[in-house]
Amino acid sequence: MLRDLAKGLPGERVFLLGNEAIARGAMEGGVQIAAAYPGTPSTEILETLAQASKHLGLYVEWSTNEKVALEVALGASICGLRAMASMKHVGVNVAHDSLMTAGYMGVKGGLVVVSADDVRAWSSQNEQDNRFTAKQAYLPVLEPSNVQEAKDWTADAFELSEKFNQVFMLRTVTRINHARGDVTLGKLPKKHRKGVFRKDPSWLTHVPTTARKNRPLMIQRFKKISQAVNRLPYNSLELVDEAKLGVIACGLSYAYTLEATKWLGLDGKVSLLKVGTTHPIPEDLVKRLLSSVEEVLVVEELEPFVELHVKAIAGEENIKIKVHGKDLIPLIGELSTRKVTEALAELTKAKLPIDFSRLDQLRKETAPLIPSRPPALCPGCPHRASFYAIKTAAKSVAKNYGVEPIYPGDIGCYSLAVAPPLETVDTLISMGASIGVANGLAHVVRAPILACIGDSTFFHAGIPPLINAVYNHAKITVIVLDNLTTAMTGFQPHPGSGFTATGVKTTQLKAENVAKGCGVRFVEVADPFDSRGAIDIVQRALMFEGPSLVVFRRKCTLMELQEKRKRGEKVVPYIVDAEKCKQCGVCIKTFACPAIIKKDKNYAIDDLLCTGCGFCAEICPYEAIHLRGKEHGERI
Amino acid sequence: MVREFNIVIAGVGGQGTILMTEILGKAATIEGLKVRGSEILGMAVRGGPVSSTIRVGSEIHGPLVPEGKGDVLVGLEPTEALRNITYLSKNGIAVINTRPIIPYTVPLGLTKYPHIKNVLETLKRKSRSVIAFDATKLAKEAGTPVVVNMVMLGALSGTGKLPIKNKTLKKVMKAHFSKEMARINIKAFDLGFEVSRNLAKRN
Repeated sequence: MLRDLAKGLPGERVFLLGNEAIARGAMEGGVQIAAAYPGTPSTEILETLAQASKHLGLYVEWSTNEKVALEVALGASICGLRAMASMKHVGVNVAHDSLMTAGYMGVKGGLVVVSADDVRAWSSQNEQDNRFTAKQAYLPVLEPSNVQEAKDWTADAFELSEKFNQVFMLRTVTRINHARGDVTLGKLPKKHRKGVFRKDPSWLTHVPTTARKNRPLMIQRFKKISQAVNRLPYNSLELVDEAKLGVIACGLSYAYTLEATKWLGLDGKVSLLKVGTTHPIPEDLVKRLLSSVEEVLVVEELEPFVELHVKAIAGEENIKIKVHGKDLIPLIGELSTRKVTEALAELTKAKLPIDFSRLDQLRKETAPLIPSRPPALCPGCPHRASFYAIKTAAKSVAKNYGVEPIYPGDIGCYSLAVAPPLETVDTLISMGASIGVANGLAHVVRAPILACIGDSTFFHAGIPPLINAVYNHAKITVIVLDNLTTAMTGFQPHPGSGFTATGVKTTQLKAENVAKGCGVRFVEVADPFDSRGAIDIVQRALMFEGPSLVVFRRKCTLMELQEKRKRGEKVVPYIVDAEKCKQCGVCIKTFACPAIIKKDKNYAIDDLLCTGCGFCAEICPYEAIHLRGKEHGERI
Repeated sequence: MVREFNIVIAGVGGQGTILMTEILGKAATIEGLKVRGSEILGMAVRGGPVSSTIRVGSEIHGPLVPEGKGDVLVGLEPTEALRNITYLSKNGIAVINTRPIIPYTVPLGLTKYPHIKNVLETLKRKSRSVIAFDATKLAKEAGTPVVVNMVMLGALSGTGKLPIKNKTLKKVMKAHFSKEMARINIKAFDLGFEVSRNLAKRN
């Protein structure tokens, strides 16, 4: 559970999640407005701020998407307040349009954008190094190496943003956001500013003349920052006399580098430049390092961003030196102490501290004993029942076409329906792309096309492509899987939930009303747990001439169970009647709820996992599944 | 002063590995130790493999336990322990819950779950010392199978290697849970501690 960090006292040592530390840093830095859209690994930043908002008098919101979140923060900054927008790496793409112009404008109140880059795509559709985005927008980047720095540097970023009149980016990686560590808290500001909007079109109204006027100013500001970073405390150079090797360690890589050098017995034998401002890099410090050693290794996560700059400096300064980086540090996967140790051992010919090949051999040997364990929709998840109905209906209609139905998919828990036996996610690209791609498919192939998108994702990016389908006559069926929350990231509210980030009741938007307003003429609402009714609705939607939309609405089971527990209600699980069960396997082959287990040839239900939804009883052809405690054969 | 002590906790989403990490980290912080840790959230946790790390000591920097440097590997599920075995050091100890969790892909015929005997034998062959027992059974004894994570926390302490006091861990548990749940969780902790301590003596 996230703690209310507004109550932490200065000097107090607490154990924090990286994202909690960033949130506390924002509080210490005087943030007054924070906005975000949930996305792993960034979500807990705004959640922590939301919890503290009342105590500190902050305005905190879940915005409909990252672009809006950035614009909310920008609006506050324009009025002189300190503001923050936090998002996962791909969220920055959504915000990119406004971010580029924000770079031209600069700030009035300090403005910090947090880009949480999910290296190894633990919970993402791709990997992305947003330092390149920052470079394109002329934004300086701070990259902390541990949880304490994540807090301290976030606080500093607001001050720096105002001092240098530029939006600052805090770039983190998953192993900072979801790292934990002991952190010493700082002071919270006592005074709040009052925001004022002053008209100034030559600054704020980016018609071409303003853009042309602001560009040289932006470049000038960036030059100043490039000079200043050489003296900022986020970078530090430790030159070792006679050292042949220099290491440039960026952000979290600094922690791995310290461990690797120690492990190899190289501490105090290599020169080390810690880079905390990875854009712009401290050129003077880099030059000093390059002139003092024979070889340099740049250690950084994801792309060779700093490496390219270091190579450019070496070339420009005509320093003859070999600059290593991604030739020795893998481009693929997360960094680790082992990877840095291996790279350093290769360069220095130092003996490896342990035989890593033995570990690789061990992994190979044990692999056949380890079952694949893909993540799955939870037991009792309404999405599983929805997809059962969607698939059954689509298959029956597809017979008329003589082809398989196509399921363009989207981002959320329901992406997990890609796995057998549901297999109803044929494409997954970005937020809202299910409907966008379906538009394209509709003009190319003749098949039932069912774009499946979650509620939060629909409000985030699903509406423009839906309007496009109406406007351009794309015959598609949009399925909105509405579980009344942003479930994948941990139950954040959204415009369809009826609550704000701080728990205040608000207007509850309904996808069916939005669709009607967008001109969709077939709009219906189905209950996932009424499969017959739901199948009928989807069949009719697929036969409809023109775009159609069906909302499958059921509260997320995890939330439902939580509420039941609070009310003191017990979950009554279902059981398999061994006498009636013919071991046909329909329940597993078509539905595969993790609560249904197989012992030898017999099927059973794990009463710990079963949530009592009863959907398996509905699809069992032999009526062999019933509520525990009910007489045999009694219909539920 | 502890210089470096590394713990890797492996389990399946929903088993409470993250809560276990949090309690360890908070207790270590109270004891004035430098603490680092990491975990994976999001998509992977929906019934998938989950692992987290907790590290304490003056010489640690990064959040991850380097491969081959783990002092204790805690497996809340036996095959998940095996998945992380390369993190154990030569002198490392594996503390294992022997109760399997069968993934849904097994009844679908997409993967096979090995014989538990094979898993335990491999773990024993590949690590210096293994403490293995049915922690789920003990959790039920404490009151509910949900507290299997606290049984394993107790077992981790029962190895005698953990540089954090039971008293501090229990203090954190009491602050985290409601009174009734704290009682059940502490009972689970004590049961795990006893079993592990006895098995550790035998090893």
